[in-house]
This record gives sequence, structure tokens and C-alpha cells, in this order.
Amino acid sequence: MEETGRPNLTFNEAALEHLDALFGYAMTLTRDPATAEDLVQETYVRGARAASKLAAATNLRNWMFVIMRNAWLNQVRREKTGPRFVDFADEDPTIDDWPADADNNPQVVYLRKLERDEVRRAIESLPATYREIVLLRDIEGFSYQEIATVLGCPAGTVMSRLGRAREKLRQRLKNWQTKSKAKAV
Amino acid sequence: MNKCQDIRERLGLYLDNELQGEERQQFESHLRECEVCKALLDHELDFLNTVRTSSPLYVASPELREKIQHQLLSKQEELVEAQHEFQRRKRSQAKLTWGLLVAAVLLVLLLPVVIIRLRNNSKAPETGGASTFALMAADVHMRHTRGQLPLEITASSPQQISGWFANKVNFSVQLPNYQESSGQEKLYTLEGARLVGFKDDYAAYVAYQMKQRPISLVITADATAQPSGGEEIKARGLMFHYNAIQGLKVITWSDRGLTYALVSDLEERGQQSCIVCHQGTKDQDFIAPLKPH
Repeated sequence: MEETGRPNLTFNEAALEHLDALFGYAMTLTRDPATAEDLVQETYVRGARAASKLAAATNLRNWMFVIMRNAWLNQVRREKTGPRFVDFADEDPTIDDWPADADNNPQVVYLRKLERDEVRRAIESLPATYREIVLLRDIEGFSYQEIATVLGCPAGTVMSRLGRAREKLRQRLKNWQTKSKAKAV
Repeated sequence: MNKCQDIRERLGLYLDNELQGEERQQFESHLRECEVCKALLDHELDFLNTVRTSSPLYVASPELREKIQHQLLSKQEELVEAQHEFQRRKRSQAKLTWGLLVAAVLLVLLLPVVIIRLRNNSKAPETGGASTFALMAADVHMRHTRGQLPLEITASSPQQISGWFANKVNFSVQLPNYQESSGQEKLYTLEGARLVGFKDDYAAYVAYQMKQRPISLVITADATAQPSGGEEIKARGLMFHYNAIQGLKVITWSDRGLTYALVSDLEERGQQSCIVCHQGTKDQDFIAPLKPH
């Protein structure tokens, strides 16, 4: 387990270390801060209940992510009119759908100089399955196999989906860059 | 496929540290020679760094942190028990680690003696230098057949077994459903599965039966175990390692991030045990190279 280097860490201490990461994942799934906070709380309640059954070799962070995803999917199934995963075709905003303030920084010219907020907005603008996989790999640093475990899909699917997600993200950032350049002129 | 095109399709895999061994070496060797591919790699790295340095995208508010702490504390009784269990498992894990270490040392010291004795006593030719993973697989196979290692799930459905492993091991166990989809005669039955300890982690153990003869499949991440030793046989781009261990036929190999061990007492090299995943007619081409010549 990842806590093996700190064997005296209690369950709640160890679990709280992943709060920011779990909140980030909840935001990625729900895109709503209030819903995300509720989801985080539910995840911790479920985690605490099941902690006694947790095998010592289990990676706690991955385990909590799986709990969160299952909790979210249950919530989606329960609330048919509530939050839901949206098909790619339903959720593919063009550059025109971006928040207006994304265009207001003419100083940012090159991709490498994009500020965190712009990258965040670009990730947020991706379809649900794409932003989820980008967050797991590029923000949280999960391996392909770990992502496969969280998503319950083969590692090959992770590979291909991540490739498509990054391509889409690259386009978004490029489009944004082009618009910024135009404004700067 | 064009070499450059092949390399470019795998830039992401390389930068994600998902290329290993020979594949990684070949990739790096090409990059040293090809400036265009190297430039594309740098460009991709630049892009990924831009995304990655934006971490963390979100930070939990102090109010949420406080709420969670309060929530956890309000479940104090449940939590205390959970914590105790957590610590107990940690301690038993530590004991297990020491136990494995001692076992490994004993194994190293006794292996030459065991091999000599087995060579003298067994009709089956023994192959030396078996990996610890192959030895572990043979051991769990024997313990299971003796009834000392009960299954934690009994099921004949590959999907059910795969699902059972989902939150228990840090890799995906996808068992094929060959005999149902192929419509061929049912040559083997899936019995069930369990976790087995290996190198501070769990490996997945799956039990099959073929004509009343047990077959064991043990799976772990290739970061945990690499097949080595024994007789090396190349087939379909994979390297198989064959060992005879205490009369059992053990075949180990790595593929796509996982390392497998297949154990049986079947004839020759036990290659027929491969049908638990390769039952189709075309798969006979796959099994054939494993037969002794």
C-alpha cells in the first residue's frame, strides 16, 4: 500500500491526504462545486464504512477514486433528471462556447505560457469521458493500469481514449492561442 | 509500417512511461537518429508539461476539509474499529513481508539441493533457474490441489471472476470467454479465484479444471514480477519461459504490462493448458511452438 512508508498513519489521516485530489475528480465528474462537495462527503462516508475490509496491499488513493466513481454512477442512475454523463455528440463545445474571459489575456501567446486557469478551462470544456481521463493521467499521475482499474475498462481503451482526449485538448488550446493572438494584434 | 509513423503513434506511451524493455530501447535508439521525431517528441513533451504543471486544478475549501474531519470523527466508534483493523492488517502485512523474505533466503540456499534431488527423483526433466514468480505459482497450485488454499470466489463465469478482482488488485484481470463464444466443445471448466500474496502485493489466482486435472493461472503486474530462467521459447512475438518444478509444468510470460504463470501437470510442456485462453483452431499455431521438438 502507498502508506507502507508511514505505517502508523490512521485510516482517516491517510484518506484526508487525498482530499484535494478527490475534490478535483469530483469537480471533473460533476462540474458543480456544491454537487462535488456532496460527492466527496459521500465518498468518505463509504470509505470509512468499508475501511475494515480494506486489504493492506490496496492502494488507498486508487481505492477512494473507485468509490467516488461508483458513488457518482449510482447517483446518476438514481437521478434521471439530475446530473449525468453526456454523450460526446451532446457535449462538444466549439471555441465560441468558451467563457468570454478566456480571450482577455493578450499577453499569453505561446502554449507553454498558458496559465493554470486557461488550461483548467480547456480541460473543463472537454467531453466528460475525455476530461476524466486527462485528469486521472496528467493531473493525478495515474498509470494506464490504474486508470483501467478506476474506470473498469481494459488498458487498451485507456490508451486510445487518452490519445483522443489529448488531441482534443491540443486543438482547444491551439484555437484559444490563435484567438488570443488575434486579439493581441 | 513506416518506422517514423510507428514511433510517432507511440510518443504518448513513451512520455507516459508505458514503454518498457526492448520496446523502449528501440524507441530511444530511433530518437537518437531521427531529428524530426525528436522534435515532435519535444513538442509533445512541451504540451504535456503545460497541462501537467497546471496541477492541482482544484483545491478543496477549508470548510469542506473541516466538514469531512467532523464527519469522520462523528463516526468515531466505527472508525476506531476500522483503524484497528487497518493497523492489524498493516502489521500482518509486515510479518508477511518478513516471512516472504525469510522464505526467499531459504529458497536461494536450498534451491540447488532441491533441484539436484528433483533431477534424481523425478521422471520429468527439471529446468533450473525458475523465477520466484514461477516457484510461487507452482507452490500455490500444489496448495490449492491439496485443499490448503480454498478459493475466495467460486464461479464459472469469466466476467464474474474479472469483476471480483476489480477493486482488489491494481491491474485489470480480463479473462477470455473463449469456449462460450467459439461454440466449441467445453474442454475445461473455470472453478473460481482468490488473491495470493506475492512481493508485498496481491497476485490474482484463477483455478481451472480440464478432464479432472487442475490448471492454475497466476497473474501479477510486470513491475512486480518478470519471467526469467528456464527454457526460453519464442512464439507470436512473446518470450515464454518453461520450467518443470516438482513435476509440474510452469509456463511464464509477460504481455502488455502483466506477467502470467500457467501451471499444470499436463503432458509434454503442459502447453495444452494454454487453451484456457486460446481454444480456437487458429490458436493451435500459437500452442504448437511450445511443444517439445
